[in-house]
Amino acid sequence: MTTTTLATPAAPRRRPAALVPVGMLVLVLLPLLLLPLAAVFVFAFRGGLTAFLSALNTQDARFALRFSLLIAFATAIVNAVLGTFAAYVLSKYRFPGERPLGIVVNLPVAIPTVVVGTSLLLLWGPIGLLGRLLEPTGFQPMFTPFGVLLAHLFVTFPYMLGTIKPLLDELETTYEEAAYTIGANRWQTFRHILLPALRGGLFTGALLTFAHSLGEFGATVLVSGNLRLRTQTAPLYIFAQFEAGNLAAANAVAAVLALLSFVIFFFLLRYTGRRTEGRL
Amino acid sequence: MHLQRHLLARRLQTLLPALVLSLLGFYAVWPWLPLPASAAPPRTIVFYGFSILGEVMNQSVFPAFQQEWQARTGERVEFISSFGGSGTVTNQVIMGVPAELALLSLELDAQRLSDNGVVPAQSWRRLPQGGIVNRTPFVILVRPGNPKGIRDFTDLTRPDVKVIHPDPLTSGGANWAIVAEYGAGMRGQPGNPSAGYDLLLGVWRNVVAQAASARAARTQFDNGFGDALITYEQEALYDQARGKLRAEVVYPHSTVLSEHTLVVVERNIPARDRDLVDAFVAFLWSESAQRLFVQGGFRSVDDKLNAGNPAFGVIADPFRIDDLGGWAKAKREIVDAVWKSKVLKELGR
Repeated sequence: MTTTTLATPAAPRRRPAALVPVGMLVLVLLPLLLLPLAAVFVFAFRGGLTAFLSALNTQDARFALRFSLLIAFATAIVNAVLGTFAAYVLSKYRFPGERPLGIVVNLPVAIPTVVVGTSLLLLWGPIGLLGRLLEPTGFQPMFTPFGVLLAHLFVTFPYMLGTIKPLLDELETTYEEAAYTIGANRWQTFRHILLPALRGGLFTGALLTFAHSLGEFGATVLVSGNLRLRTQTAPLYIFAQFEAGNLAAANAVAAVLALLSFVIFFFLLRYTGRRTEGRL
Repeated sequence: MHLQRHLLARRLQTLLPALVLSLLGFYAVWPWLPLPASAAPPRTIVFYGFSILGEVMNQSVFPAFQQEWQARTGERVEFISSFGGSGTVTNQVIMGVPAELALLSLELDAQRLSDNGVVPAQSWRRLPQGGIVNRTPFVILVRPGNPKGIRDFTDLTRPDVKVIHPDPLTSGGANWAIVAEYGAGMRGQPGNPSAGYDLLLGVWRNVVAQAASARAARTQFDNGFGDALITYEQEALYDQARGKLRAEVVYPHSTVLSEHTLVVVERNIPARDRDLVDAFVAFLWSESAQRLFVQGGFRSVDDKLNAGNPAFGVIADPFRIDDLGGWAKAKREIVDAVWKSKVLKELGR
């Protein structure tokens, strides 16, 4: 009796009661989330559209945005492959040490990004454990675009894995087994059975990775050397300009980054929304 | 008909992300596409500098040299540069960033580079002026109208004054400021051996915020924190010249002239760029570059050029680091022995 009343609450009675908590939530969210974002756009366009565009049209700003986009694309592509491989191994094979390995690959979520930057420097930097051995070869990954990519791969590794592994775990094994019985090998099974089923997950995971890479700051600031026109990403540019007191330059790029993440978020929402809709 | 429109909408939904992403990708790789029209790649100089140099280098000195070099050789030069706290820059160079030149706020940081084997000891002393490119005195910035009536360092010890100070750990300017405060105290009361310590302690009791660089401290001050900021005169003059200064400059009776040292990091300079880097180093002490520094608010190493900027204020009793026995001694006896070991301990920080 009680359960039925809980399951089907009377719709007309809920509406007036909701007004207070909803209003409170909006009041809390306004200064917490909405107003700061609005401030970025208000400041960015305070000098008018031409001022906004000319702030974006400096060599440094254009480079920073392009460099961030390139790193984000590269990170998304490499981690799409690595993350899917990791998800496949962890989902389809049973082996000793499976659980510790599963924890290790998810660690980057928990580690502060500054620590990631420090550890990369202490490994690959000129005074680092491996970096010292590399010294004679003249190959020096830190303070180069490659170093930035390494940091981003580390930081964003779990996002692809996190999207693909649940899909693989949930997937019915009957098609796979059928493929094996007609003589398909592991690669053929993966290519023709699993991959088509993972398409949506790949897209979502890659977008998540892309978005996180675009905004990465903590690790990048340490491994990049913050060189303009060489390793300065858009978030580093924003920080450098803000520290130097050039609010207009900082805000213009910040507004573009915010806009890009809105677009990515919109795609994510549309895509995941459509999938659940299709399933229902 | 209805179904068709539905299908079209669906297709558009899949196409839109693909279209947006490929447009973004195309925008990103555009400058690196092997287009036939692109000219020979420019030669590069990698330059690291301490925080307040940013504008004057990027907007006047680099372009002036680019023009001169192109006129002389027909080659394009691109400057890859980074500006931050002098200590930060020094640490980055020690960690191995590819800096070919580093213009540091104080000789102490150059010393750290040679201690870490990055450059030979005292190598900067062989440059013109012992490596010093330009100077600027330490002054006090206060709010418009000087509401707290601050006239000298001693006024900063009053209990109602809140001081913004850069952090001596990462900022060269902060080390200069400590020397300025201590030296001003000593010179104010020559008979009192603890006068320097007293003034330093009084000022630091009122420090409410520490930023990583002189520039970052300035940004904090501009954002409304504190009543007074101890900083380079250049910081104030640069904005004053552009009508952007929302503060007043107070010249202390006695203060230090900071001297900024250039270090050439030989190991990062490829043999083929030797001539280019040498030419730029020579250019920094040329009259045209020194004039640009004066216009940008720095005091030239050539005193007769300093008449070129009427905004330079008068300091009754300026002193230099050499008057205190050089940076090695000042660091040991003032920054470490007095500020770190006594003042911070006294304040419980």
